[in-house]
Amino acid sequence: MMNVQGKQISIVQYILLIHGVQVGVGVLTLPRDVAEKAGTDGWIGIIIGWFIATITSLIIIQIMKKYPNGTILDLLKHYFGKWAAKVGGGILAVYFGLLALYSFITEAMFIQAWVLPRVSIFLLLILLSIPSYLLVRNNIQIIGRYSVVVFLMTIWILVLYVYSFKEGQILNLLPLLKEGWQPVVKTLKISIIIYVGFDIAFYLYPFLEKKENASIGVVIANTITMIAYLIITLGAFVVFSPDEITKFNEPTITVLKVIELTFIERLEIVVFAFYIFVMSTKVLPLMFVSVFSTSWIFGKVDHSKPLFWFLVISVIYVLLFPPSVRMDLILAKEIHRISYLFSYVFPICLWGYVLIHGLMKRRSLN
Amino acid sequence: MKRCVLPLLCVSLLMMLTSCGYQVPLEDTTIVFVLGIDLDEDNNLIFYESSPVFSKGAKSQRDIYHTKADTIRDSRKFFDAVTGGEVSAAKIQILLLGKRVVEHGDWFPILDTMYRNSNFSINTRVVIVDGQVSDVVNYNPESNALLAVYLKNDIDKNHKRTRTEKGTLQQLHSEFFDKGVTPALANVKKGKKVEVTGTALLNNRGKYVDSLDLSESTLYLFLKHNRKHQISYTTITIPAEKEEGIFHKNDLSFEVKTVKSKVKTSHDEDRFKFDVKISMSVAILESLLPVDMISHEKEIKKTIEDRLKTGYEELFKKVQGHKIDPFGFGIYARAYQYEEFKKVEDNWGQALSEADINVTVEVDIKSMGTVNDTSK
Repeated sequence: MMNVQGKQISIVQYILLIHGVQVGVGVLTLPRDVAEKAGTDGWIGIIIGWFIATITSLIIIQIMKKYPNGTILDLLKHYFGKWAAKVGGGILAVYFGLLALYSFITEAMFIQAWVLPRVSIFLLLILLSIPSYLLVRNNIQIIGRYSVVVFLMTIWILVLYVYSFKEGQILNLLPLLKEGWQPVVKTLKISIIIYVGFDIAFYLYPFLEKKENASIGVVIANTITMIAYLIITLGAFVVFSPDEITKFNEPTITVLKVIELTFIERLEIVVFAFYIFVMSTKVLPLMFVSVFSTSWIFGKVDHSKPLFWFLVISVIYVLLFPPSVRMDLILAKEIHRISYLFSYVFPICLWGYVLIHGLMKRRSLN
Repeated sequence: MKRCVLPLLCVSLLMMLTSCGYQVPLEDTTIVFVLGIDLDEDNNLIFYESSPVFSKGAKSQRDIYHTKADTIRDSRKFFDAVTGGEVSAAKIQILLLGKRVVEHGDWFPILDTMYRNSNFSINTRVVIVDGQVSDVVNYNPESNALLAVYLKNDIDKNHKRTRTEKGTLQQLHSEFFDKGVTPALANVKKGKKVEVTGTALLNNRGKYVDSLDLSESTLYLFLKHNRKHQISYTTITIPAEKEEGIFHKNDLSFEVKTVKSKVKTSHDEDRFKFDVKISMSVAILESLLPVDMISHEKEIKKTIEDRLKTGYEELFKKVQGHKIDPFGFGIYARAYQYEEFKKVEDNWGQALSEADINVTVEVDIKSMGTVNDTSK
C-alpha cells in the first residue's frame, strides 16, 4: 500500500506520459529501418506492431487490476514475498535505468550532432542533468504535467510531415504488398520495439485518478504513437524514391530539409530545438521509474538521493567511455534485446502466473 | 551558502557553451552562394565559388575565386587560404555544373559532401551550364543584383511558369537513384546575359544526353508535375503552317489554366504500353489567325489538340531514342505492373525505348478573350 494523495495523474497525463516514453530517438531512423526490411510496405508493419503492443499493454492493465493500489513492485511483493520483490525491483530498476541512461546519452549525442557540434557530450550531460534533477525529484504528477506541456508544444511538427506529402510521389507506395507478407513480418522486429515504453503503465496505474479508464488510456496512447509514426514514415516514403530511402541515415530529418518555406530556409534547425523536448519526455519518466524502484527497495519515499547518484554515474560513464556512433549502435541492439524480454515476455508470463494463482486460490477455497 | 551553489554552477557551465566563445561576425564570414564545378582543357576539375561581401566601403559586392582541386572539400583548402573570413557552405543557393563535367558520366559522387554534410542545404538548385562555368560565375547582372539571387529567381520563376525543371539537390538524388526515372535539371547559357534555355536531360548514370528547349520543357513539365503546382501563367505558341508576309504569322497563343494527365499502364507481349491522356483548359490570349473565332471554335480546338499531340509524340520519340525516362513512366510501371517492371528495372531505359506510348490531348477552351477577331 502506498499513499498516492496529491500525486494522482489525470487520464490525459497518463496517456501522454506513455506516449512520451514511446517516442524517442528511434523515430529518426524508423523509415529507413522498416524500408530496409520491406521497402515501401514497411508502414504496414507499424500497424501490426501497434496491434501487438496494444494487446500487451492491455495485459499489463489486467495484471495491475489484481492489485490496484500499488505499483508492480507492491504486486510482486504481494505474490512472491518481500525478498523476491526486492530482487525483482532491483532488476526492474536496472532495466529502466539502462533504458534511461541510453536515451539520456543519445539525447546528448543528438544535440551534439545536430545543434551544438563543438560542445563535448560530457558538458552537455552535465547541463542536461540540472533540469532533469529539478523535474524528476518531484512526484509523477509533475512529470505528467511536463509531458502534457511538451506534447502540446511539439505536436505541430507532425503538420510539417503532412505538408511534405504535397511534394511527394504517392505512386511510390504502390503496389501494396509488392513482395507479399513475408518482408512485412520481418519488420516486426523493429516495429514492436518502437512501442516500448507502454510498460511504465506498471508504475503509473496506482497513480491514475480514475482507474476504469486505464485500458482505454493505454490504447489511446499507443494509437497516438502509431499515428505519429505512420505520418512520418509515409511522409518519408512519398518524398524519397524507394531506391534511395535506405541511403539516408536519418530520413526523418532529411524529409524536413526538403521542405522549403519562403521565410525560413533550413526548417530542420528549428525543429531540432523542439525535438530535444520530445526526447526529454522519454528520458525523464524512465529515470523517475528507475530511481523510484531503487528507493522502494530501501523502503524510502524520497527518491532525490538515488536520482542524484544516477545522474553522477551517467556523467562519469560518458567521461570514462566517450560514446561513439558505433558504440551507440551496439548498445541499441543490446537494449532492444532486453526490451523484448521486459516489455513483451515479462508481462505475458506474469499474467499467466497471476491467472493460475487466482485459479489455485479459488480451488483451495472450495 | 547552498542557495548560491546552484546558480553559480549554472552560470559557470553556461559560460562554457560554444556560442559565447566562437562568435562569427557576419562581416568576417565568407558565405558561399554559388558553387561551380567545371573541367578545363586537360580534364582537371575546377571549382568556382562566389560569395557576397558585407563590409562597408568594399569596392566589389562579391568575391569570386576558382581553384583546381580533386573534390569539393579539397577546394575548401584553397578557399580558406585566400578568403579573409571563415568559409561557410551552408547557404549555397546555386550549384553550377559545366556541361563538360556532366558529359563524362559517373560524375555524381563528386557531390557526396553536399549530401553527407548535414550543414548543406538540400534545396540548392543544380544548374547545367551550356559552355564555360566561369562565364556564368563572372557574370554581373546589370540590375546589380547578386548573381545567386538573380539566378535563383530566374530559375524559380521559369519553373513556376513550367519552362524549366527546378532541379534541387534532393530531386537530383531521388531521380538519380530511382530506377524508374532519369534526372532532369535546369539548363542555362551565357549569351549576352545569363539565360535559362530549358531542361537538360541526363541518363541513369548521370551522363548528359540531350536538352529540351523552352517549349519542349513546358510540354514535359505538364506531364511530369501535373498535380504538383498550379500553373499560373503559361503560354504555348503554335506557329503557322505557312507564313505569309512579315506580320501574318498565323500564330496562336494561349494560357493554360489547368492540366490533368492520366497515365494508364499495361503490358503485353514483352512490351510496356502507356496510354497518356492529357486534358487541359486554356484561355486564348493571342490569335493572328484570320478567322472568326466563335464560329471556328471547333477547328481551333482541333488544331491545338493536333499540335500538342504531335509535340508530345516528338518528345516521346526523342526520349525513347536516348533510352532515358525523364517523365517517370517507370514509376507508373512499378506501381501498376510491378512483376514486369521488376524484370527490367535495371535496364529501364531500354525497356521504355521499346514501349508503346500513345498520347491523346483534350483541350477545353474556356475563354476566347474580349475580341472576336482582329483581322480585316
